[in-house]
Amino acid sequence: MAKISGAEAIMRSLIEEGVDIIYGYPGGAIMPTYDALFDFKEQIQHVLVRHEQAAVHAAEGYARMTGRAGVCLATSGPGATNLVTGIADAMLDSVPLVCITGQVPSAVLGTDAFQETDIISITIPITKWNYQVTSADEIPEIMARAFFIANTGRPGPVLVDITKNAQTDLLEYVYERKTVLKSYVPVRNPDPVQIEEAAALINAAKRPYIFIGHGVLVAEAEDEVEALAERAGIPVASTLHGLSAFPTRHPLYAGMLGMHGNYGSNVLSNEADVIIAVGMRFDDRVTGNLKSYLTRAKIIHIEIDPAEIDKVLKVDVPIIADARSALRALLPLVERNEHPEWVARFAECHRIEHEKIIKKAIAPESGGLRMVEVIHQLSELTRGESVVVADVGQHQMMAARYYRFARRNSWVTSGGLGTMGFALPACFGCKMGAPDRDVVAIIGDGCFQMNIQELATIAQEQVPVKIIVLNNSFLGMVRQWQELFFDHRYSFTELKNPDFVKVGQGFGIESARVSERKDLITALQTMLDFDGPYLLEVKVEKEENVFPMVPAGAPISDIRLE
Amino acid sequence: MKKQYTISAYTENSPGVLHRLTVTFTKRKVNIESLTVSETEQEGISRFTIVVRVPDSLIDTIVKQIRRIIEVREAFASEDEDLVFKEIALIRVFSENATDREKVEDLAHRYGGKVVFARKDALTVQMTGTEDEIRSLYELLEPHGIAEFVRSGRVALRKDVTVAKAVSHSHGSDT
Repeated sequence: MAKISGAEAIMRSLIEEGVDIIYGYPGGAIMPTYDALFDFKEQIQHVLVRHEQAAVHAAEGYARMTGRAGVCLATSGPGATNLVTGIADAMLDSVPLVCITGQVPSAVLGTDAFQETDIISITIPITKWNYQVTSADEIPEIMARAFFIANTGRPGPVLVDITKNAQTDLLEYVYERKTVLKSYVPVRNPDPVQIEEAAALINAAKRPYIFIGHGVLVAEAEDEVEALAERAGIPVASTLHGLSAFPTRHPLYAGMLGMHGNYGSNVLSNEADVIIAVGMRFDDRVTGNLKSYLTRAKIIHIEIDPAEIDKVLKVDVPIIADARSALRALLPLVERNEHPEWVARFAECHRIEHEKIIKKAIAPESGGLRMVEVIHQLSELTRGESVVVADVGQHQMMAARYYRFARRNSWVTSGGLGTMGFALPACFGCKMGAPDRDVVAIIGDGCFQMNIQELATIAQEQVPVKIIVLNNSFLGMVRQWQELFFDHRYSFTELKNPDFVKVGQGFGIESARVSERKDLITALQTMLDFDGPYLLEVKVEKEENVFPMVPAGAPISDIRLE
Repeated sequence: MKKQYTISAYTENSPGVLHRLTVTFTKRKVNIESLTVSETEQEGISRFTIVVRVPDSLIDTIVKQIRRIIEVREAFASEDEDLVFKEIALIRVFSENATDREKVEDLAHRYGGKVVFARKDALTVQMTGTEDEIRSLYELLEPHGIAEFVRSGRVALRKDVTVAKAVSHSHGSDT
């Protein structure tokens, strides 16, 4: 058998795994692999980002759209350490990634060689798995493991660190995709006894309530959730990452859970007698104070990762399985039912929230432009059919609250880690993963400047994404907390920003600014109609707050409407 | 309430597994009381025996997070009453004269230890037992003057053999 280089083996492995796009940045220790890539550029598109962190977020966006691992390529040392924030982000949000880093030759490992860092040790706590390859013949086996582990079970990031000699040395290349690993059980079949117990609880429930999370989207269990909700007349609320798994306009949709979620979805959690939690992990931003959370409910927890069961709260019926297979097993045992009085409670709460908050927020009559009306108009103009990629902060919560999702898998944001700077690189990853969909990024002025260099990547690749910068010249969410909980002491949250339109134009991106209410709809429509990437800066009120709000550590019943 | 648990983890014998396991504890600022790594009855499989003191509400989650490590085949936590467990200690005691030496040898012998190395100025006593048994002998020898003391981590097997059978069922290395 003819031998090939380790670098070529990496390329062939990527092709075996169906990879057609990778995001990366070259450098010394990864140069042999980049040299091999030059021969494979017809099969594998390489996107040259301007900072390795952006490669990870772009790969996350790609993975979120396609359901397959995103791939990043970086060099050793600073290239590898620049990946760290992105990898941590993917770990907390269960996004499948394979990150390949170059490493110094194995002969000098541990000698503080030029651009040497121990990226394996650094990334142990933030990867699902990682491995250092020091010999070329390990490459096919390790690449196959990497993709298998990243893509299966609860997805997550994997890092493969490959020494320079392993890239240049020769090997006899044979590739076998992995479907099983002895020490790794990615999926379990739902236990029939627990399924029966869950069905009995649901059938006897007076006030049942479904919570959906990211796991529903990962398992593509949207139909099954809808079927369960409709069959037994159960309201459905979503976590931040579950958004768009259930249609926003569905009569059983109760809204978003958590700190800036909806009023009814939160307060009625404590009235429910049975909670069916699907593919979510009871994050502290969802539960508030645990002592007074779900006090009256029996809890059914459908979750693929056994380590999430009983982690933050004791559940009554755990079902360790993929959301779709669990719900498919459960559905035939669930009796047809309706809970009109219970569902009416949600409608009543919605009426209160609409009266006190939403009505005024979506159509303000005076003052400067507000974040909410921008999102509301965007939602109307796109009929809720765009993919919305949000960064982190007030604009994120406004987008989550006010975009009316009509299509599945349409919401991508940094939830667990809350990584400012996520959205700009993630949005072009999303567009490349779903070229037939419209992708709109909602970004705050603080976040925008954390990965602003990626405008260059967007311009070079001519990715037709629409970027809305909601500019209030503040780190708005921190300012809101300072206003409410730190006695209006605005400690280092005000920003003197550059001229974003000139910045955009400088990068070669069509850019415009809007600051008057009368011009908003036209400005948004012009952006949406433009053939190519487009940056729209919207000057908004400096001090707008996100409500409702559950103060950190407070019980969800303490939700504040103003 | 904090309790002492012995965690046994069967893992693939590959570099970095120790680091992955310790991260589970360091991220919660849990101190490891003792640690032993050894080969097992299965080729390519290592056994970690880790003694920790943690709140009883936390132990299940910690074990599940250990199981989540890709290289871990199985892990379980046990309390002392469910285990057969031992440690080994070497205690070096000053001994200036024959009377002294005789007393030390006598104490060691009476409490299950033995002298494994002798020089004219010091005796080295080996003791195998539980932490308590080793501590008792240490205290008895203390008046003679302790030159050096070293103790291994715990090795432990569950009294109940069903767990071990379930684990060995899934054995054999991937590579």
